[in-house]
Amino acid sequence: MNLSFAIPLSAPDVNFRLLLPELILSVTGVVVMLVDAFTGRSQRRATATLSLAGLAATAWATLWLWPSAQGADTRAWGGMIVLDPMRLSFTLVFLIVAALTVLISAIWVEWEGLPAGEFHTLLLFATVGMMLMASGNDLVMIFLGLEILSIATYVMAGFRKNDLRSNESSLKYFILGSFSSAFLLYGIALVYGATAHEVSAQPQASGALAQHVILAGTTNISAIAERVNDGLYPPLLFAGAAMLMIGFGFKIASAPFHVWTPDVYEGAPTPVTAFMAAGPKAAGFAAFMRVFLLAFPFVAASGQMRSTGAQLHDAWLGALWILAVLTMTVGNVVALVQTNVKRMLAYSSIAHAGYALVGFVAAGAADSAHQTDAVAAVVFYLLAYAVMNLGAFAVVTLIARSGDRRTDIEDYRGIGFDSPALSLTLSLFLLSLLGVPLTAGFMGKVMVFSQALGEGYKWLVVIGVLNTAISVYYYLGLIVVMFFRERTTEWRAPRIPTTLAVVLVLTVAGVIYLGLFPGRVINAFRAVQPIAVSSLR
Amino acid sequence: MIPLSWYLALSAVLFTIGVVGVIIKRNVISMFMCIELMLNAVNLTFVAFSSYFGDVTGQLFVFIVMTVAAAEAAVGLGIVIAIFRNRESLDVDDASVLRL
Amino acid sequence: MLSALLLQAGMSLTTARTPAGVGGPVSGYWPVMVFFAVAVVFPVLPVVLGRFVRPNLYGEAKMRPYECGIDPTTEAHDRFTVRFYIVAMLFLVFDVETIFLLPWAIIFMGDDFSFTKFALLEMFFFIGILVVGYYYAWRKGALEWA
Repeated sequence: MNLSFAIPLSAPDVNFRLLLPELILSVTGVVVMLVDAFTGRSQRRATATLSLAGLAATAWATLWLWPSAQGADTRAWGGMIVLDPMRLSFTLVFLIVAALTVLISAIWVEWEGLPAGEFHTLLLFATVGMMLMASGNDLVMIFLGLEILSIATYVMAGFRKNDLRSNESSLKYFILGSFSSAFLLYGIALVYGATAHEVSAQPQASGALAQHVILAGTTNISAIAERVNDGLYPPLLFAGAAMLMIGFGFKIASAPFHVWTPDVYEGAPTPVTAFMAAGPKAAGFAAFMRVFLLAFPFVAASGQMRSTGAQLHDAWLGALWILAVLTMTVGNVVALVQTNVKRMLAYSSIAHAGYALVGFVAAGAADSAHQTDAVAAVVFYLLAYAVMNLGAFAVVTLIARSGDRRTDIEDYRGIGFDSPALSLTLSLFLLSLLGVPLTAGFMGKVMVFSQALGEGYKWLVVIGVLNTAISVYYYLGLIVVMFFRERTTEWRAPRIPTTLAVVLVLTVAGVIYLGLFPGRVINAFRAVQPIAVSSLR
Repeated sequence: MIPLSWYLALSAVLFTIGVVGVIIKRNVISMFMCIELMLNAVNLTFVAFSSYFGDVTGQLFVFIVMTVAAAEAAVGLGIVIAIFRNRESLDVDDASVLRL
Repeated sequence: MLSALLLQAGMSLTTARTPAGVGGPVSGYWPVMVFFAVAVVFPVLPVVLGRFVRPNLYGEAKMRPYECGIDPTTEAHDRFTVRFYIVAMLFLVFDVETIFLLPWAIIFMGDDFSFTKFALLEMFFFIGILVVGYYYAWRKGALEWA
């Protein structure tokens, strides 16, 4: 058997400049880990400060790379990592999520006496994983990023290790997460096989025959896009794409693959739930969009419309349409009957994944010029969702107190006038989640829906708007419970600690800023074209 | 030479056994073994393609999958130990503080 | 010793049969199959033969779990202490990392010196990260048996 390397073994083209954000954050993670290991118990402040500094440096590197996304030099590690606006804007979303999570968790680790250093390390590594998912231009890199993220998140979900709910949440997340990773991996394997192509290999060392021709599959996204039409085994390509869709569907918690979400979100410690609903979901979208938009684009073979690429494109777009409708509807309808705030927000997060999928469908149907806009709309939606969701969970953390005891809707009864700061901010976040004008949620929905309308998806938008109407009931329901119901049990207004106050100020400002002046952000997100289909060579 | 399709069929069967196992098994360790079976079915697919093509990329992927599977196994064991310390049972039906 | 000889014999047999060592996947496994057959026969044969040869003498002392020593007081399906699992976890992770060393050792010379330099640095970096993980586990007390 002759195995050969398709590339000669000389020093690879690494291009460290483009890896700068990931490198900075990885090093920060290791440093935080060492600080945690080599100092005593009282290092909570130190690791939090270090993590925030690392995240800030990473954000700086990301912004520094922003102008070069337009340039010619956009590939690192031989095409495994790319630089494009999609990567940079998603990276920024992840960094914001991670920084806010550090701040939200500060009070929680103190209440429960948990090892803060470990939590910060895991959080930073999870963020590196998310960034790799957004920047990977190779299915290998996306898979690795996903696993770095998932493994760290499994531990974070079970971080309160003496609490059975946290354990169970972690276990369920772990089982279903690895289950879905296996599907994803099988999809990658099938795509690898289906894109087999003849390449001429370098002659082996001494005694080898002259240059011979070998077959080689590929996992590089740009290369897959080039080979969609002339792969050797088209049926495998369809099966692989279906498996990939199932895998990513689990990760972004879209119905019918959402069953793990409510349990995991309810049982996990509240700051971790906040992180999971905002970060990994956005990362799932980043990888999902990159793989399906860039690896399986609409490619008509010369003259014929029903080429393999075109069929595949039709198939996944149709499936995605159904996924979007199901996700929106299931999320909103089931949220109506929840009695626990965390479960309600979990179903709400499923519904929001559905709205973002509407934008994804539009991006899939768009030509490459409009695709940038549609992708930017989805990223904006996810950013808006992250900000308002983290804000809402910050309030939930504070009301739940140590041990996550008070998370039922009943616990919110009549607290409105006793703790106005908390209940007013929570109401703002709920209104934004609902999509009331002048808030971030409204702008996000407008952008996503207008992209879908632009591509002619009238019914999808109608269903989306009807779903928003359904969601009025449960979002406003919680506000009504807070302000217009009598308190039956004793209520002591919690003191708002500084870190949480910072989070609330930032998220309120973010919700209002994104709601009133979305222009700057959306322009930054779509300033440059994402890499064209055939930029491999 | 055994045709490629045989290997693919075998790995598809193994993968399906793994999926069914995760769904019907009630013991965490058994579910966990079924997930490992799924991952190894994928590895078989990679190796079959790789060997058939004469291209090493698939085998490199297998290395990465094995490492990831080990890391997952370590984390899984950790979670199982934490649950066991709190509950003394590994049946997922007993893990029902959270509704399904 | 004997089995190694048999394995060699099996190998020479098969190489004689297939020209230039390009046997199909099945014929390549002939030595393994021969080895397997020997491995089955070797332990089974003495047990079966012993049945006919040995005397049968059963007494009370003979039927106890151990002919000498202390009678067992707990069940055989005893629980292992959880510490074994922690050691198993650590072992698993560090053991599997060596998987990367083997292919690296084959190719690290590469086609030119720039690759060798790169590969060496890369491996030191990789091992450095493992060492950090090891120190972390040590400092956190995962290696303590108490």
